[in-house]
Amino acid sequence: MAAQPASTVPTISPAEMQILISRAGLVLNPGQMADLVLAWRQVAGLIAAIPQGRKLADDMALTFRLPPPADADAAARPVVSAAVKPTARSASKAAPRPQRKPAKKALPAKKASPVKTRTTRAKAAASPAKAAAKAKPKARTRRPALRGR
Amino acid sequence: MTGGGQTFLSIAEAGRLIAAKKLSPVELTRALLARVTAVDPQLNAFLLVTERQALAAARAAERAIAAGRRGPMLGIPLAYKDIYETAGIRTTAHSRILADNVPTEDAETVRRLHAAGAVMLGKLATHEFAIGGPAFDLPWPPARNPWDTRRFTGGSSSGSGAAVAAGLALGALGSDTGGSIRLPAAYCGIAGLKPTPGLVSRRGVIPLASSLDTAGPMAWTAQDCAILLDALAGHDPLDPASVQGPAVSYARAVEAPLKGLRIGLVRRFYEHDVPGSPEVLQMMTRAAATLRGLGCRVDEASLPPVQEYNAVGRVIISSEAYALHEATLKTRLSDFSRVFRVRVLAGALIRAADYIAAQRRRTDLIAETRRVLERFDVLIAPPTAGAAPLLTEQRPDDGFSRPLLTTVANVAAIPSLVVCGGFTATGLPLGLEIMGPAWGDAMVLRVGHQFEQAAGLRGRRPML
Repeated sequence: MAAQPASTVPTISPAEMQILISRAGLVLNPGQMADLVLAWRQVAGLIAAIPQGRKLADDMALTFRLPPPADADAAARPVVSAAVKPTARSASKAAPRPQRKPAKKALPAKKASPVKTRTTRAKAAASPAKAAAKAKPKARTRRPALRGR
Repeated sequence: MTGGGQTFLSIAEAGRLIAAKKLSPVELTRALLARVTAVDPQLNAFLLVTERQALAAARAAERAIAAGRRGPMLGIPLAYKDIYETAGIRTTAHSRILADNVPTEDAETVRRLHAAGAVMLGKLATHEFAIGGPAFDLPWPPARNPWDTRRFTGGSSSGSGAAVAAGLALGALGSDTGGSIRLPAAYCGIAGLKPTPGLVSRRGVIPLASSLDTAGPMAWTAQDCAILLDALAGHDPLDPASVQGPAVSYARAVEAPLKGLRIGLVRRFYEHDVPGSPEVLQMMTRAAATLRGLGCRVDEASLPPVQEYNAVGRVIISSEAYALHEATLKTRLSDFSRVFRVRVLAGALIRAADYIAAQRRRTDLIAETRRVLERFDVLIAPPTAGAAPLLTEQRPDDGFSRPLLTTVANVAAIPSLVVCGGFTATGLPLGLEIMGPAWGDAMVLRVGHQFEQAAGLRGRRPML
């Protein structure tokens, strides 16, 4: 989106700064306070250069990308008696759809999709032993957590 | 070039000689340790030399080679910025606060390098907690530039830049939150890569600002950085920001020619936003011509002003660094250097709303940078406006008052490599920065390597 006009940062007097520093639990000597005044002038200018006016609905800055649930689909599946072997079709129907399909473009590599597909789940349910033998341990893929950490 | 001998080998050269049993890792390690003893008193690059461990690791590498093991990192002597935790070996972050800190585990990156057979020579100087500038009120003096010891190395991976340039280690680890790998790479005339966030684990690396921190390699050449990245990259399930990167060999990727690549020249950065010296402008003209000579198409690229990236980066760094160190600042304020206090204490006054505004603006800048990089394979610009300044010219508030060209790549979350782009008339190195799209680490290394091969600047070393 286009940048909105930058805000103005209210100036802080030395007395106000002393209150803020005390509130932060810091005790500064006069030299340290003078250094802080010097630094704050620079930081206030940087803050003022950052656009702040945005629409309320346009707030997506703090996103948390959690890893896909490893066993959530199993937990959501109805309990099946050990005597009844589910068919591939019924297992695939019972399994919930992945909540969010990862965007292909954002993935660093083609392999190691973080979400199991319905097909692989169905195959695994139809022949658990065969699937287990075939399955190779794959590194879990995570999306970069760039913000909000 | 003076007195370097084996210590001026690149990692690629040393690896080939070691694999062919023409160079002994023990012999190479001894040569480097001797050079550290002879030269480092002028540079202060090392905070700690781990001679005993280095020789033991070199002997182990030699035994492994005799047993038939091969690998590009086997027996290669390296050193680490002193924010990388090393099991049983003091890790201070160049701060009085951690003067007695002895970790019990290696950082994941250190573990990977040692598993690949690398030899640790010691721990390197940094700016205090990777943010303070060069400080003279700490237990250890600041590192000095080997091209002119009156001059600044750049920071915060100051010891890493000095050690590699001076032939005290074949490679080093650095960290980069606003330019801390690439600034010393530029001022010391070496190569340094800030990888795509998540490609290299940060577990066990003392943080500065978690939403911008990256760990990465520094070496004499881009090819050496690629060899190091092959050992370093990979998913670490215990680092929440870690990602499984592309399955490529970076060392092999750099060999591909550049014919047909689209290079974006970000002129506004160095002609308008942070005006470069005449020598920097000449260097950029020559670099563009060299890349055209390699078959690239070079056109002008337009990004948002450096000042916008810088404001966002500085507000995030100040806020997060203050939050990280608040408890210690309350109890041991005077134990920090003055420059650290100046750069971090202002974070106490930044409002949550201003920090959030910086993160929101970062989202825009990431998107805007990505759109530009859809039209180019890489972007080039100088990482600094000139050559290394004198140490005496450094001011505590420099981090706020002077915009850093390098912070663009941190805020935009893209990989960025600095290689040596030329020299001033007085013999000081000038850097060339190559930025690529997220996960384009192989591409920036490839452009850097091919540029180095064509420019022919890697035969010149500091006179010490």
